[in-house]
Amino acid sequence: MTRMKTIKVGFMPLIDAAIPIAAVECGFAEREGIQIELVRETSWANIRDKLIHDLFDASHMLAPLAVTTSLGVGNAKVPLAVPFGLNANGNCITLSARLYRALEEVLGHPPQNARQSAQALKRVIGRRKASGEPPITFGVVFPFSVHAIIVRHWLRLGGIDPHNDVQFLVVPPPFMVANLSEGVIEGCCVGEPWNSRAVESGVGSIVVFGAEISRCAPDKVLALRDEMAAKEPEAVHRLLRAYRSAARWCQNRENHANLAHMLAQPQYINVAPKTVLNALSGTLAVNRTEGRSMPDFLAFEGDEINWPDPRKARWLYAEIANGLRQDLSASQAEAAASVFRPDLFDAATGNNALPESQDPIGLKFGPAFDSNNLQGYIDALRG
Amino acid sequence: MTDQASILIIDENHVRAAIIQEGLREAGHANVRWLNETANLLKRIVDIDPDVIIIDLESPNRDVLEQMFQVSRVVRRPIAMFVDQSDSISIRDAMLAGVSAYVVDGLKKERVKHILDMCVQRFEIFSRMEEELHEAKTALADRKVIERAKGILMTAKSLSEQDAYAMMRKAAMDQKRRLAEIARAIVMAEGMLK
Repeated sequence: MTRMKTIKVGFMPLIDAAIPIAAVECGFAEREGIQIELVRETSWANIRDKLIHDLFDASHMLAPLAVTTSLGVGNAKVPLAVPFGLNANGNCITLSARLYRALEEVLGHPPQNARQSAQALKRVIGRRKASGEPPITFGVVFPFSVHAIIVRHWLRLGGIDPHNDVQFLVVPPPFMVANLSEGVIEGCCVGEPWNSRAVESGVGSIVVFGAEISRCAPDKVLALRDEMAAKEPEAVHRLLRAYRSAARWCQNRENHANLAHMLAQPQYINVAPKTVLNALSGTLAVNRTEGRSMPDFLAFEGDEINWPDPRKARWLYAEIANGLRQDLSASQAEAAASVFRPDLFDAATGNNALPESQDPIGLKFGPAFDSNNLQGYIDALRG
Repeated sequence: MTDQASILIIDENHVRAAIIQEGLREAGHANVRWLNETANLLKRIVDIDPDVIIIDLESPNRDVLEQMFQVSRVVRRPIAMFVDQSDSISIRDAMLAGVSAYVVDGLKKERVKHILDMCVQRFEIFSRMEEELHEAKTALADRKVIERAKGILMTAKSLSEQDAYAMMRKAAMDQKRRLAEIARAIVMAEGMLK
């Protein structure tokens, strides 16, 4: 067997980088005859730019960013291929201590679920408007992120207009707690460990788990340059098989203690193993006194997660266009759908099954998503 | 000749920022500002309203700047990353050096390239300085540990300084390891045997 070249993979120090990290650490890559060199990055912008300028062969990437980069929305236009989904969910919405107290005051008790907290927020926003206070700003990790989409869905659940009633600000995860504490933002949507950090330091309370909003919205994905997928199919196939083995390993609860120690190491996420383990098990302290547990808080493996369903890409496109208040274009929707590449996944793994679910996103509130009727979906969102 | 383009440097590393500012001023760019405090970054950028933004790639704040591309309400003038396909090589060089640039639309490409080239150069100079500093520090630490190990051997085995040194050299050559590694092992072993 000829030696394969080393595949350089960029990642952000997040728990959802588990699959590429486990692919290396557990030897799944080696078993497939490939060498992966993991490179830790500090921003999604770096990840994107190093991928499109050939400094990375593949990357851990925000799912919406793979679509916008391919479509040329934002700041670059290079066709990318997404042959594998890395996770579903794992993010939370956290509110500042002050805003959380305002919600409690309105309700007379702590909010019990996503709908209740959103409805309470609606009343708080109304009061603040009436007294001439500035609008609430939410921190999200990137303009195009499933985090921003989740916040918008939650806001709508309470009858809040995400475009006019609140503001959004991009805040890198390591700065989220400080920004909450200083009042620059009053809420945020971010992955772990940053929500727990806010809770531990008394700066904020978690009000929503992402898994309460959707079953399997695409969060992070494996992204390649389209050109790499075409030129080096063998290397890509091996990479995908290694990722699939890693996904199964990461999903297995028996491995979570090992996985937590692996990810916690200084060269990866550099946090306490316990923090990682909490997120893996879906059991978090949501405020000073209460905890909450959700078994599907974060998932790495399953047909609905790993198989790059083009319908998910259509959903991302619809959400991106809606976020930008742009009209939908049929050709852009097609272009978006073609970024997700089940053909690569199937060729690598021998899969020939199509997903059973009618609904590839599984939103738990709001309009059902029909990938054949994006306009209907958007109209329902805009109400 | 001075160039009036307003250039904003976002870099939390004071030394590197100073080196870049100096380079740009020497090259005739009089209008250079430096931000080392990045709280409320987007608002600060809007207030300064620069023509060119230079930011180091180590900064997570690059993602904050992304918001400038889509929200035209946020900035008065459209800003693009210094990317077009023909510039791919210089972008790549810049990224390898650890720097990225954002440019207000309409600024002449040659002017921008000149600024970016200068920054890339200065980033590289800074990296070399850092490397040299690191090497010097390592050399100093090596020398210290070798001295200590030598002392340990001299006492433990009643050797002369020269013989103690020779013994470590031989061990290093036999095991194909660095002298400092052998010395560290001796120092560590002594600590454990105490």
